[in-house]
Amino acid sequence: MARPRTAAAVPAARPARWRRVCRAAPPYLYLAPALTMLVVWTYQPLAQTVELSFHSWNLLPTSPMREVGTANYERLLTTPDMGASVWRTVLVILGLLPFTVVVPVVVALLSRRVKGRAGAAYRAMVFAPMLVAPVAGAAVWQWLLDPGSGAVNSVLGTRINWLHESGPAQLAIIVITGWHIVGFAVLVVSAGLTGINPEYAAAAQVDGASRWQILRWITLPMLSPTVMFLVLMTVLLSAQWTFPLIDTLTQGGPAESTTTVYYLLWDYGFHSYDAGLGAAAGVLFFLGFVLVAAVLVWLSDRLSHSDD
Amino acid sequence: MRVRAESDDPVGDRGTGRRIVGHLVLALTSLACLFPIYWLYATSLRAPGDVYSLSPVPWPLSLEHYREAIAKTDMVRMLVNTAVIAVLTALGQLLTGLLAAYAFAAWRFRFERLLHLAFVGTWLVPFQVTMLPNYVLLSELGLLNTLAGVIVPSLVSALGVLMLRQHLMSFPKELLEAARMDGRGSWNILWTVVVPTLRPVLAALGILLVITAWNEYFWPAMVMQRSNGVVQLGLRSFMGTEGNDWGPLMAASGMTCLPVFALYLFLQRHIVNAFVRSGLK
Repeated sequence: MARPRTAAAVPAARPARWRRVCRAAPPYLYLAPALTMLVVWTYQPLAQTVELSFHSWNLLPTSPMREVGTANYERLLTTPDMGASVWRTVLVILGLLPFTVVVPVVVALLSRRVKGRAGAAYRAMVFAPMLVAPVAGAAVWQWLLDPGSGAVNSVLGTRINWLHESGPAQLAIIVITGWHIVGFAVLVVSAGLTGINPEYAAAAQVDGASRWQILRWITLPMLSPTVMFLVLMTVLLSAQWTFPLIDTLTQGGPAESTTTVYYLLWDYGFHSYDAGLGAAAGVLFFLGFVLVAAVLVWLSDRLSHSDD
Repeated sequence: MRVRAESDDPVGDRGTGRRIVGHLVLALTSLACLFPIYWLYATSLRAPGDVYSLSPVPWPLSLEHYREAIAKTDMVRMLVNTAVIAVLTALGQLLTGLLAAYAFAAWRFRFERLLHLAFVGTWLVPFQVTMLPNYVLLSELGLLNTLAGVIVPSLVSALGVLMLRQHLMSFPKELLEAARMDGRGSWNILWTVVVPTLRPVLAALGILLVITAWNEYFWPAMVMQRSNGVVQLGLRSFMGTEGNDWGPLMAASGMTCLPVFALYLFLQRHIVNAFVRSGLK
């Protein structure tokens, strides 16, 4: 990709520097609206949160913020909740990957084989749960999982009190979240597949490649940026997807078994009214996420060169 | 000079067995995905005495639960508020996302990687981390308890920017080059060359963003001070107060999802057509 050559003839009378600025300006101008919003609503507040993490404040506008140095961080690292909730979050992410990567790729590839209207209809059906509002989803699953008269126990012939036992509650949160997002992932993979130039496959076929070889050596490698995108999304957004469900269904219980880091953070800020501790926890999660994402972005950049 | 491929499916080897397996897997996946939704509406349409019945088909049908849910909540006003928020948010996100993605795709410029990371970076910032400062800023702007207060902070979507960027990166560069050679300005190229080819992607993304905004829960909850101004909050308070009164709860949930389903069913056809057409080009 070369720098665009501006075809418009620029009068030679203008100073060269002005010309350079004019030529360099367009991409920044196009980015300006989005970047302004990012700075105002994400990055500036993030900086304020970092500042807040070194203070003690109970969220009341009338009470002053006290400077406490690193006391919040020390308290955070000495509580056992922290390590346990990080571990639970990792479990949730691993549990979600089949729903966000494996199933969508299989379904998208198969629905490509299923021609025309039928394929579109299947995709539409799989996508449907994505349309269900988290609170509505929580309500219907609460009803399905009702220990006494819910459909799940009736069908399985079990008497499990799903949302009030640790193991089943964790499983329920993962499955419900997976049910919500699997359709979106299918749509992303399908879009990725339509973006692949069919001429590669056609050319390979002329050279006598089998279906399987085309899938293995052309389609899947060209789909790898899409897959990386989905993995990245799962890691970074799983906490946000599970949060409304945890908040409405289990409130982090039973016995803290569904308290993910994200829920813990919210708990610090809005149940314990400890803004400083919540901010410190937020800063630590942010740093952890940066580390994970840096690795994934580096990987996806390595992979996305396959199409050049 | 592009060859017009008949479809993305190579010619020959059209095994019916393979197709049947495909149908089977897809049918099972669809069934698993649809059942909870079906059950939600089935329960909501049962007669009040039949809520605990496990018969797959609700009969006799009754709208009693809906009547009860509407009598207890301010459903209509909440639905209108939520629709306004969702549509305006999605339009803003599409526009900012398109402009930003175009910048990334059509130019090489200084700090490109850094700015790209700035968008990815928003995913690293959990909403709870920036919640307090944002709340303070909104109250300073006087936007608390207004619909604008819900819309303005979410006028850029990192997902939108990154998804459009992904698609634009595979956009044939020679088309852009050719348009530039004609001496057209970048603004003109964006609207006459890029947007028409991106239409299916924009439509799909737009719908996704509308749904996301419609289903957004925590930001409205904070801005609207837990008044039942949007439908998510109304449903939440209903869940709390009505406990295990499953019938009306399912009816209220059903009404919350209905507009989104209607929108999707109505536009699904257009999206699929667009995808199919773009597959044939």
